[in-house]
Amino acid sequence: MNSGFQHTQNLGFIAQQAAIQSRVKVGVRGWQNATRQDLVNFVSRKTRIAITDSQVQGDMVVGFVNNQQDADSLINWNGVRFAGNALKFEIINDNGAGGNTGTSNTITLLKSFLFKRYNAQTKMMDLGNLRNDPDLVTNGLFSSTSTQSKMFPAMMKLASKEPQLIVESINLSNNNLRDVNMISSIAQTFPNLKNLCLANNQISKFRSLEVWKGKFKHLRELLMMNNPVTTDPLYRTEMLRLFPKLVILDNVLIRDENKLQQLYSIPMKIQQFFFESNELGQSSTDFVTNFLNLWDTNRVQLMGLYSPQSQFSISVDSSVPSSSVSNSDQNPTFSFYLPLSRNLTKVSSEKTKQQRLAMGQEAIDKLFSSLPKSKHYLQEQPSNYSLEAWSYPQVQGFIITLHGFFEEVDKPEIDANKGTSSTSGGRHRRFNHGHNNNSLNKLSRRSFDRTWIIVPNQGNVIIASDLFTIRPYADGSWIEPQQPTSIQQTATALTGVGNIPPSMGVQQPGVSPQGLVQQGLSQPGLQQPGIQQSNGQMNLQPGNLAPPAGQLQLPPEVQAKLNPHQQELLNKLHIETKLNAEYTYMLAEQSGWNYEIAIKGFQESMNNIPRQAFI
Amino acid sequence: MNNQSQVLESFVKRILTNLDETDPQKLAQFLPLVNPTGCKIIVNSTPFAQPTAFLEVWQSSVVQTQHVLTAVDYHVIPGTGTLICNINGKVRFDESGKDKMGQDAVIRTDNMGAGSAPAAKHRPLWGSYYGVSLQIVIDERIFNNDFNCVVSSFNYTMVYKPEDSLMTL
Repeated sequence: MNSGFQHTQNLGFIAQQAAIQSRVKVGVRGWQNATRQDLVNFVSRKTRIAITDSQVQGDMVVGFVNNQQDADSLINWNGVRFAGNALKFEIINDNGAGGNTGTSNTITLLKSFLFKRYNAQTKMMDLGNLRNDPDLVTNGLFSSTSTQSKMFPAMMKLASKEPQLIVESINLSNNNLRDVNMISSIAQTFPNLKNLCLANNQISKFRSLEVWKGKFKHLRELLMMNNPVTTDPLYRTEMLRLFPKLVILDNVLIRDENKLQQLYSIPMKIQQFFFESNELGQSSTDFVTNFLNLWDTNRVQLMGLYSPQSQFSISVDSSVPSSSVSNSDQNPTFSFYLPLSRNLTKVSSEKTKQQRLAMGQEAIDKLFSSLPKSKHYLQEQPSNYSLEAWSYPQVQGFIITLHGFFEEVDKPEIDANKGTSSTSGGRHRRFNHGHNNNSLNKLSRRSFDRTWIIVPNQGNVIIASDLFTIRPYADGSWIEPQQPTSIQQTATALTGVGNIPPSMGVQQPGVSPQGLVQQGLSQPGLQQPGIQQSNGQMNLQPGNLAPPAGQLQLPPEVQAKLNPHQQELLNKLHIETKLNAEYTYMLAEQSGWNYEIAIKGFQESMNNIPRQAFI
Repeated sequence: MNNQSQVLESFVKRILTNLDETDPQKLAQFLPLVNPTGCKIIVNSTPFAQPTAFLEVWQSSVVQTQHVLTAVDYHVIPGTGTLICNINGKVRFDESGKDKMGQDAVIRTDNMGAGSAPAAKHRPLWGSYYGVSLQIVIDERIFNNDFNCVVSSFNYTMVYKPEDSLMTL
């Protein structure tokens, strides 16, 4: 009884505190011909917004309104006439004694709480039994339903902004949850979550879990023991339906993992390169590099590679990739290309098909000049290109196919839309009706597939055929994802049936969080940023099994700009030279990302390198 | 001669439709189209020594697919009796968790009834589209309606992938 009474008192106090926290400081100028009280009364009458705790500061009246919404609508009253003057309202964002301090305090508090409950080794976020956490209780964050429901999404939002929090498992046991509404945002924050514990809650209906359908595509293990819903006869079927890759439900194996793996993987793993032979690899890479270099700078010079029987045509694939394809261009325009496209699924007239096939140097040159000027990034960003080369015995030559992207840098020399040829003369006027040429002809980034048939000829090569597909930009499927997807460490989190680490165990609800955070990331303020990043860093390189000591640790913003080859080179150099991250990077950069040159340069200048450059 | 490109387009469609079949017998109709000894098959940069080896993997380890053709272009290479065809398309996968035979990975329990396993014909649950780029070398004989062993090169590459797919590439 007594504690219940205290609880209600607390609620009142918290409500008051919350109100104070959310209020916003405002200032009013242009009120000089009246008193402060007159002004406040006027504002309250006119705008129905109360300014409290007001005082005069210089030429301003400063006070508080209840919340951000009120503050925003007050700004809309700017210019309202009062006592012969136009009033000017402003929101004051001082981080000193204003209303915002409450919020930023809460953020700091929640952040340090997250780090305290995070275990970097097991990649687990332990959010079990929150209502009994001393920190949260003393700060009143988990005592009323309204603060509770706000706190969780806020926590998730903060977690999503901390790249070093790599979470594969979340424990939410013992939180008195009746449904998952309050915690539904985990699906957005941690879409790749593998293990989830909701044991010892009050969840009783499937419907509440429906918000997670189609989310959590990698959820492998779910613990729901001691929830009413588990007694439902359809429980198992429903969980199978909601989580397509769920293997273990409440410590019971429900799917055959091998079979599951087989069902959701394509056995032909995508690779960036295929060469039928090693020498073909070298020569085709050289060919493509030189060809695209000239293609970007001086297309006429390529004419020597084409014979009178050589053929070239372009084909526009205007189908827009699904919006879930990363960085895909959802609004592409192809107006420079469409009049030239020989896409047979779109062009029906035989005559047009013939016209759009360029044969012989003259026709090919003209078609080249009709395409926008471009820039390929084969050398700068090799990971964005994929290449296959194999032999073509019938021509005693070979086929090279390149997939990648280019940037359009300028309009074509000849604009196909201007209808220079006699056949389309005058047509453009009809078609230009209502055309906004600027938006349709905008230059952009394109993806392409280009296939050359190469015939060696007296120490030189002839391009027998050159087929060029232009399509909306989309990241190549062979590009490694940047997000952490470390596989090899998954097993440590929750392995096998019935093998749950104590922290996630149902029997030990309130495991002391301190015990979990001995290593790694406990308090953000207490650690050097470099170490924190290194923890995130290790996980950014899936498949790399080198011990942490040999691993190079770069700041994420540097990391983001590197391609896998550069990363590999850096690691190799780092291990070889024992230089620290900064100097390894400098060395690699100065050597033009060439290992041999870098090592040579290192050996030559070893004696001049300062001591602090080494680890 | 005039309908060359139509013949070609329908041939390409036929190949892709073949790959979308779930019935092993219909799927096997892919084989007579390709040169059994000299056909180079490369899928996602993985080469296959024999067309049968490719078909076996496709049948047993890839779930049901659905291809859509979005672009076709070709060049007849003079003096070789062959032509090269450059194709773009999209493909999506049955993400229902069942293979081509309708088998899933669920471990049956007693109360679920073992007999309720693969139901009559399951309905595929299509995922988002992947982008496909395909190059094939074909004998000119197809223009005379001869489709026997005409394919001598088959380079199939998935060029973009949707992040929301359950499949891993």
